[in-house]
Amino acid sequence: MYLVADINVEICAAKSCKLCTQYCPEANTIQYSEELGKDKGFKYGSAYVAVDRCKGCAQCVWVCDNMAKNYAIKMIMIDQLPKAALTENITYGEKSTTAVLASPVVG
Amino acid sequence: MSLDYVKFSNGFEKFMPKEYRDMVEHGPFGKKVTVSQMGNFKEVLEEHPMCAGCAMTLFIRLAMIAFPNPEDTITVGTAGCGRLAISQAAIPFVYGNYGDQNGVASGLSRGLRLRFGDKPKDVVVMAGDGGTADIGFQQVLHSWFRKERFTTIMLDNEVYGNTGGQESGMTNRGAVLKMAPLGKKFEKMDMLQMAKVAGCAYVATVVPNNPRRVESVIKKAVLIAREVGSTYIQAYTSCNIEYAIPTDKVMEDAKAVENDRYQFTEYVSEEAKQYLTERYGYKEFLAKPAAPAAAIPGKA
Repeated sequence: MYLVADINVEICAAKSCKLCTQYCPEANTIQYSEELGKDKGFKYGSAYVAVDRCKGCAQCVWVCDNMAKNYAIKMIMIDQLPKAALTENITYGEKSTTAVLASPVVG
Repeated sequence: MSLDYVKFSNGFEKFMPKEYRDMVEHGPFGKKVTVSQMGNFKEVLEEHPMCAGCAMTLFIRLAMIAFPNPEDTITVGTAGCGRLAISQAAIPFVYGNYGDQNGVASGLSRGLRLRFGDKPKDVVVMAGDGGTADIGFQQVLHSWFRKERFTTIMLDNEVYGNTGGQESGMTNRGAVLKMAPLGKKFEKMDMLQMAKVAGCAYVATVVPNNPRRVESVIKKAVLIAREVGSTYIQAYTSCNIEYAIPTDKVMEDAKAVENDRYQFTEYVSEEAKQYLTERYGYKEFLAKPAAPAAAIPGKA
């Protein structure tokens, strides 16, 4: 078993700073979805983690805790994740530079 | 080299892996993407075997986003950690022998100019501190003296991280490493000063804990190298393995080093300032309007 990052959508969608997407060393691992928070009634979208790409370095946790002060990301054992986004389920929106369609989260 | 090389051949689309299809349909080719859009588009960098939490990987990721025209760019590298990621991108990568990356890039840059004329084709060298300041030092310096028009980026992790932790010319004095147990006896090489003496049109230091700055510095360097002359960027990209930095403290270390010895510096030659202003509309180099002269009392 190993640790992967997990983002709390409730906290993330309330702030939506997007810092973790800019500081993750792995490409297309922390993605951002406009729909993920809005479908729960929040103002913004939320970031989410493609767990099959996450190497578990926890840099996003440091950035979220110390730079953004949002405390929205925790490291969780892969088999304890309530929901996981896999790369093959991630789709991009028509306007690829403005939105990612959210159908990534699988139970 | 054009947008065509990332498109599907007729009939092959359904056989391509998802990552490739996403790259063609939602990648940055032919569009303008910025750091603030990260997480919203398919990046040119793919999965790679570099260590978890490596700051060099983050820098390379940011660099690939900052290239003004990724479809018209070729990267050149040499032995070292960086090429493990640089070679996993949808940008053509030339892997030189150890130390000859700037020689290869010189020929490549001249050849592309002969072949494509005025159409800009960018050559970007990304090599480690060993490849740039030690083993490739002669070719790096000569390419600068010849004012070869391409960008050189040093991924400075201050150690030979790939081969067990030997000291490099860029290691700090006194640093104790696995293969330098008595500590380094000499000072860190001042490559920035050497770049200026050798006539580089743009010289900058940068640390990846400020993604927007990395983006702006790389964009400027690549644009200036199109017509004005050699450009050099020195980036601090810590080796969390050889310097035993916990992966979740890599950005904390980057911040501390930035405050200590890697402050942001930028040198832009007058010719380069004029070029960026006139050709690409940069406003930061325009002369600031002079303050109105204070009225002299007693005079009309």
